[in-house]
Amino acid sequence: VSLTLTYFPVRGRAEVIRVMLKDQGAEFDEKVITMEMWKESTLKASCVSNPLFGQLPIFEDGDLTLYQTNAIRRHLARKLGLYGKDQREAALIDMMDEAIQDLLNKYIKLMFEKDDSGKEGYLKALPTDLKPFEKTLSGDKGSFLVGDKISLADYALVILLIHHQVLSPPCLHAFPSLQSYLKRLCARPNLHAYFHSDDFKNRPIIPGKRT
Amino acid sequence: MHVGPYTITYFGVRGRCGAMRIMMADQGQEWKEILMDFADWTKGDLKASCVFGQLPKFEDGGLVLYQSNAILRHLGRNHDAYGKDGKEAARIDMMCDGVEDLRLKYGKMIYQEYDTGKDQYIKDLPNHLDKFEAVMAKNKTGFLVGDKPSFADYSLFEVLLNHLVLCSSCLDTSPSLKSFVEKMSARPKIKAFLGSDAYKKLPINGNGKQ
Repeated sequence: VSLTLTYFPVRGRAEVIRVMLKDQGAEFDEKVITMEMWKESTLKASCVSNPLFGQLPIFEDGDLTLYQTNAIRRHLARKLGLYGKDQREAALIDMMDEAIQDLLNKYIKLMFEKDDSGKEGYLKALPTDLKPFEKTLSGDKGSFLVGDKISLADYALVILLIHHQVLSPPCLHAFPSLQSYLKRLCARPNLHAYFHSDDFKNRPIIPGKRT
Repeated sequence: MHVGPYTITYFGVRGRCGAMRIMMADQGQEWKEILMDFADWTKGDLKASCVFGQLPKFEDGGLVLYQSNAILRHLGRNHDAYGKDGKEAARIDMMCDGVEDLRLKYGKMIYQEYDTGKDQYIKDLPNHLDKFEAVMAKNKTGFLVGDKPSFADYSLFEVLLNHLVLCSSCLDTSPSLKSFVEKMSARPKIKAFLGSDAYKKLPINGNGKQ
């Protein structure tokens, strides 16, 4: 069964999908849509009338077509066994993931601001947002956010932390558990290979800015 | 997996507990409400004990959860309201995420731009509702996905009820959604809950705007 991701040639919201699939060794095709193609094409219109949300990414799993990054991620997590060992863990993974999405939404808002004026305030507030994850990962059971296996939420957090280090290299200095978590996850063989690949490195975080 | 009992700790509003209350009511579930006074909240003791410093806090037996959409999903799993298979589950997730987008827009208007932005928000609303209208019309069962209510239905229902308070004619151009709201409201347990003091006494939002 073939997996296909359709997205812009950036990391953006889809990168977390790529990271999950790469780590799990799941093959997938990529259809790249440039901004010019997006504006001109009937693809955007067909997304709206399809009748979903007029946005990318689109993900195809055989004959199932999905929109909304988080719905795609959850589908893959269920398919690949990345949603905890039971219902209780699934609920805790969802909880962690929702909080990560809150921070991601703030980050995306900052990235799309026209100038750097919001950056200082953002970085001042960041430790408060990171503390719950630091706390969760500290202590003797801190391998992953929930349980003893990597999950949906871990992939979201790892890429978010990587991008925050680009934004502000010292941002994890006060968070030893997050640093060690990031180091451990990035040492996973497939992730290590992917994060060092040109494929990843040459893909901008968002269009036109900062990598 | 439902162990129970269910307990909600939250402020005295419908807010982000609106959908889960309607869902639990419809599913015949009892739950306890712990009302948090805002002045007590700002003292910080409970806040410090909440994983993300936020309410609602939800308890299912010994399991403590935060984040309203995580709670809705947990209830979805407990009460067979997450689709009959992986395909339905994925579509339900899409719908719920779409509802969340609408909630965020509504919340922004209510809390930040009510006086200046309300009229434009109501004007723009059909553009945000048309996706749900199209899905509802296509599915033909009276639910967003499959043939029984999912947590996405309860969430959509609740947000539409709030929008009808904002503007009572806002569903007039969305016949499938209008019918959906009518049918959900008529479900016996939901009807009883919506008619109860417990529901009626709580304002929708924390700033009194609606």
